[in-house]
Amino acid sequence: MIDARDVTKRFGEGASAVTALERVSLHVPEGSFFTLLGPSGCGKTTLLRLIAGFELPSEGEIALDGEVIGHLPPNKRPVNTVFQNYALFPHMSVARNIGFGLEMLNRPKAEISATVEEMLDLVQLGAFAARRVDQLSGGQQQRVALARALAPRPKVLLLDEPLSALDLKLRKGMQGELKRLQAETGITFVFVTHDQGEALAMSDQIAVMSAGAIQQVGTPEEIYTTPQSRFVADFIGDTNIVPAELLGYEGDKARIRFAGGQAVLANAASATLAPGAVHVAIRPETITVCDAADEAALLHGTVLDSSYFGAGSQMRIRLRGGTEVQAQVAQPSPTGCEVGLIPDTSMLQVLVD
Amino acid sequence: MGQGVEHTLSAAESLRQAAAARSSAQRRRRLFLLLPAVTIIGIFGLAPLSIALLYSFLEPGTYGGVEWVFSTDAYVQFLFERDIFDDSLIFNSAYLQIFARSFGLALFTMCGTLLLGFPVAYFIAARPPEQRNFWLFAITLPFWTNLLIRTYSMLLIVRDEGFLNLTLMKLGVISEPIEMLYTDGAVLVGLVYSFLPFMILPIYASLEKFDFSLLEAGHDLYASRAQVFRHIVIPISRPGIVGGCALVLIPSLGAYITPELLGGGKKLMIGNLIAMQFGSGRNWPFGSAAALILMALVLVAMMISLRAGAEKESRHG
Ligand SMILES: Nc1ncnc2c1ncn2[C@@H]1O[C@H](COP(=O)(O)OP(=O)(O)OP(=O)(O)O)[C@@H](O)[C@H]1O
Ligand SMILES: [Mg+2]
Repeated sequence: MIDARDVTKRFGEGASAVTALERVSLHVPEGSFFTLLGPSGCGKTTLLRLIAGFELPSEGEIALDGEVIGHLPPNKRPVNTVFQNYALFPHMSVARNIGFGLEMLNRPKAEISATVEEMLDLVQLGAFAARRVDQLSGGQQQRVALARALAPRPKVLLLDEPLSALDLKLRKGMQGELKRLQAETGITFVFVTHDQGEALAMSDQIAVMSAGAIQQVGTPEEIYTTPQSRFVADFIGDTNIVPAELLGYEGDKARIRFAGGQAVLANAASATLAPGAVHVAIRPETITVCDAADEAALLHGTVLDSSYFGAGSQMRIRLRGGTEVQAQVAQPSPTGCEVGLIPDTSMLQVLVD
Repeated sequence: MGQGVEHTLSAAESLRQAAAARSSAQRRRRLFLLLPAVTIIGIFGLAPLSIALLYSFLEPGTYGGVEWVFSTDAYVQFLFERDIFDDSLIFNSAYLQIFARSFGLALFTMCGTLLLGFPVAYFIAARPPEQRNFWLFAITLPFWTNLLIRTYSMLLIVRDEGFLNLTLMKLGVISEPIEMLYTDGAVLVGLVYSFLPFMILPIYASLEKFDFSLLEAGHDLYASRAQVFRHIVIPISRPGIVGGCALVLIPSLGAYITPELLGGGKKLMIGNLIAMQFGSGRNWPFGSAAALILMALVLVAMMISLRAGAEKESRHG
């Protein structure tokens, strides 16, 4: 569907030039809900604007359905955008906003009004067709923006943090609605967010970005359970990142040892690291807490505190090396107690820095 | 018991009275506060207009001023000429022609200021906010100088030995100076120059809050650049365009100094015609009548354009 190949985008000239994207390559599969996730300033909007045609790449090319579109202006691309601030036309009614794209494509009047009807139904705004857009609530404006971008049936819909202006409750509702719209229309969605919960909940595929580069692409589950770099592990949720020593690789596994424990095999994305100090991701729910003297314990530490959260308790433990980790257990040990930790080694992930 | 009821009744009554007194006091105060505005409108707006209306129905005095005799001659004179021998009325279009030329020139002035002013206003609105004041300042700066002086300097530029002709001759574009001064063209240039800010400022005001991401939104939805301009920029700046056109058209209809100096007073414009009646023409009633006819025409034109605008609005809904 969309293929970006070695796309670099620089703003400005000479010494003051800013590199917003650095050799980004990306494949967005047809009909998928694809999310660009990353912290502020990592280049998500820039990538989206390159796909929409508002910016031209400094280097590299972007193809849609195998055809290079890098040189086409936005009005020649079968791609529509839902803007972060909605950018609805204030001098037009809701219906005319939605029909604007088709009007510009010179579609027959009957077709336009039929599509507008259909879109109004799709976003459940049937009663608002004749309203001015400034007489709508934020959530309603959001849906008009969606309907307007969907009405011309683009091949790709780009959404730049469309939910960030909404309050939490509306946001949860719109997340579901967006998912539903994507499934119903079958249009490829490229969705930008810096909220990892939103990304995990909605996406078929996530591309995690940082500092103008793509760190990892995968399904939400892959991103969540097997983060490949320290950045991704850190950015997605509440994984523990613990120092360890890499002894070497065995097949596609890495042999590692935590301070004071025995060597174990952990998952590794690629056998590229030199033996020595590395970081390992351990998810809190994969840790079993045992007696400090237990032979099987790979890590040792002191319980700092624990808090009950319904399904179990969250314990904070300070390891002997000073690192703090969290573990989710059914029965917490008392504060100040020395404990041993046994992580599920099949879930350990060696991280690239 | 009965006394208690009476007591509460009278208490309610007195409350009501107090409220009534309060509201009438409020009404008096509101009127009082309106007084300055009413006075100003009365003194500077309605009074001169009433005087003009009154004078237009009187007879001219021999040495200026008016004779207090009722007459509609001033209005008749606008369209007809009295035959010197048999006193019959003959249609005379001389004044109508002056009006027509004035309207034509004013319309051209309006179009000229619009064509020049719109891009300028758009340019300023597209600057970052901290730079806009500088540009607005630059636009209004010439207006700190007297219109007369600015018009004289325009005269120096367009006359035969003026800056424009000398430059063109130096460059070899022309061998003889082009006669520019004392033509309708010179008047038009002078009017466009002096009224330009009245077009720029209202359009700028309507574009000041313009959300430039709307351009991208339009472009994204398959509109070409020209279509974005036509369907998004123009409609949103329409109030400014309409306001600017009115602010240019109306005063340029009555412009006096510019046609006098740059047109050499050869071809009369309404403003000069009216001024002349109160000066050498010594026909105050006719001057008043001409001024009122001009005003009536402007009002009618404005009403028509407003109605057309409202219809367009409702059609697009
Ligand atoms: N027009 C521009 N001129 C100069 N620098 C720019 C321009 N647009 C973006 N940048 C820079 O490029 C980098 C990436 O910006 P971008 O807007 O893509 O980030 P983002 O990931 O969308 O961030 P956010 O989550 O805050 O929206 C930033 O450092 C930004 O300052
Ligand atoms: Mg952004």
